[in-house]
Amino acid sequence: MTRENATRMALTALVAGAFLATTTSACGLGGGAAEVEEGERTGKVSGRITFRTLQLKPVHTSYVQGVIDAFEQKYPDAEVVWEDVPGDGYNEKLVADAQAGALPDVVNLSTDSFQLLADRGMLADVAKLDPGAAGEYVPGAWEQFKLPGKGEGVFAYPWYVTPEILTYNKRLFEKSGLDPAKPPTTVEQFFDYAERIAAGSGGRYSAFMADPKGRLPGDWQKMGIPILNGKQDAFAFDTDKAVAWVERMKDLYDKGAMPKESLLKSDDVNQLYGGGKIAFGPGSPGFVRDIKQNAPQVYADTQVANAVTGTLGHIGIYAQSLGIRKDGKHLDAATEFAKWVTNGPNQVEFSKKATIYPSNATGLADAYFSDKGDGKDAETLARAVGAEQLKGADLDANTPVQWTNQVGDAVVREVQKAIKGEQDARTAVRKAQEEANKLLARTGQR
Amino acid sequence: MEAETGLRHRTWWTPYLFLAPGLVMVTMFSLWPFVNTVILSLTDAQILRGGGFVGFDNYARAFGDPDFWVATGNSVLYLVVVVPCLVFLPLALAVLVQREVPGIGFFRSAFYTPVIASAVVVGLIWQWVLRSDGLVNTVFRKLSIVSEPIPFLTDSTMLLVSAMIVTVWKGLGYYMVFYLAALGNVSASLHEAAALDGAGPVRRFFSITVPQVKPMMLLVGTLSAISALRVFTEIYILGGESGGPGGGARTLPFLIRQVGLGFAGETGYAAAISILLFLLTLVFSLLGRRLSKGDER
Repeated sequence: MTRENATRMALTALVAGAFLATTTSACGLGGGAAEVEEGERTGKVSGRITFRTLQLKPVHTSYVQGVIDAFEQKYPDAEVVWEDVPGDGYNEKLVADAQAGALPDVVNLSTDSFQLLADRGMLADVAKLDPGAAGEYVPGAWEQFKLPGKGEGVFAYPWYVTPEILTYNKRLFEKSGLDPAKPPTTVEQFFDYAERIAAGSGGRYSAFMADPKGRLPGDWQKMGIPILNGKQDAFAFDTDKAVAWVERMKDLYDKGAMPKESLLKSDDVNQLYGGGKIAFGPGSPGFVRDIKQNAPQVYADTQVANAVTGTLGHIGIYAQSLGIRKDGKHLDAATEFAKWVTNGPNQVEFSKKATIYPSNATGLADAYFSDKGDGKDAETLARAVGAEQLKGADLDANTPVQWTNQVGDAVVREVQKAIKGEQDARTAVRKAQEEANKLLARTGQR
Repeated sequence: MEAETGLRHRTWWTPYLFLAPGLVMVTMFSLWPFVNTVILSLTDAQILRGGGFVGFDNYARAFGDPDFWVATGNSVLYLVVVVPCLVFLPLALAVLVQREVPGIGFFRSAFYTPVIASAVVVGLIWQWVLRSDGLVNTVFRKLSIVSEPIPFLTDSTMLLVSAMIVTVWKGLGYYMVFYLAALGNVSASLHEAAALDGAGPVRRFFSITVPQVKPMMLLVGTLSAISALRVFTEIYILGGESGGPGGGARTLPFLIRQVGLGFAGETGYAAAISILLFLLTLVFSLLGRRLSKGDER
């Protein structure tokens, strides 16, 4: 090879590599970050803090700005810089900022992002910063922001929450010979109903979405299947009950209780339910409002009820929180602001503008959330049902921090194969647990 | 004398001054990420967790990882099937729409439309065409061609084939434009002379057109090979985020995303797979170059 050729080849390799690496870097690759030190406290609510929300502009601009303005009026020495980030790529941006040491002072976090950032020591312990705060929130919501192995630390203020409810199409129920007044109450009963729906539909509609990722580990937790061992250092879901769950899913899939493509989550549940193609909709009160706007005919047939539970009586809760950057320069201002945004009056006002619920105890006690109307309007009923469930909800059923995206993917891959009939259920559950434990050992999640 | 020295001095650094902004940008946004990816691939770094140096462990892990081999197999299969289609079909299409006849502009635009459509829109359209209760299966069932729907999207192999069809469909118009440019340079006198010698259209195509557009065919082959190895969107939209049932239709970029993304992403391992994908791409690019050189000789 001549020198010119060698140089040319080296340059080609470098440029091509640079191109590929740039594209893959955009997929979220990067280095790590070390544990951070807690910022200094001054006892003064002052300074310039940044506040990041998730996709609240432009619909809720005036509400959020109003909350900020009122805060700044009360604390003239404090200034809040609000940035709103679109939902797509929110977590990726969070990761990039966390790596770069550029987290906002007060940041909206979902359950998974809170868990990981707190686990990496990047969020302040609000129970320590603000010892009196615990009593102001619904106990279940406050408890949700603790982490196993981190003692009594609470790593975010609970903000708005959405409890799981059951939504179903009563016309399809009746067509299948089911009584709409008696919806299923347990996972096992839910599957029985799905079988009846599949048998009566003649292939014209199905019962629910297969999508194992959407159902796991929630279904297993409801059925009393342990996700982790007692020490919380290994997955332990390889049980007869989990095998039975997979076998039942396969049987129902074969019988047409779920749309075929929904196994891969490539279906849009809103479209299918809105088109009268599935009997059970997603269990969220916000979804009922969407159906009211987008598919009025199906909305007229929509009924809501308490979420399906199981032996443990758990329901799923989707919670948003406000985390505080641990090494922020103005910890006191950030703490006071997060508390301000999540106080009772502010949360109630927000809940009246969006289909969400306050995590604040006084907020949830507002009469607005117990009004069932005449009991016929699904949206009003959904609000009351959701609020009622939330008051006494046991939040243990939330996905443990060890069940990362990678673990979920690995488990789902094995379960999908079993549902498709490419391997038996027992093998699938065993392999899923092996894969999950391998990932746990590698990524070092507690 | 002083003025002359000053001029020489300026002459020496002036070109570098002009190059500097570009060099800085390229170094920051292309070369450094590449070097960083190579370094990262030698560590056990995770998102939000610094990693230690582990040598070639990530590469060894990849070679022993069945998921890596499935993804590599799918990527190579994608390339082997898609590249010939994207080399020959757009050429045939270009020959068909090359001649100026009334209304030909409509066909040229129609064939080019999928190119400007977003990959997501294209994926969604094809999803409704190929799903169990989609257009194709409904027509086939009505015509009693099949009794059970063909699992275009729920079987890993069929999903891969479906994604290939979408890639080819979307690439046809793009490469057709390349060939139209090349065909415009084919000497009309050669065709006329061959026609006078009694050569028919097929003979003229293979004896005159193909040799004249061969460099373009090699370019199209190289470009489509690189694209084929980077396929992600089609699989994701048609087969969901697990990459088909059991992840059986995952390609290498899909695997990189799955391994490296999320709060528990293993960035070191994902970087190592990226480098292996780069090497694979490099091999095929150099192969294309070698073929092109052989042709020149």
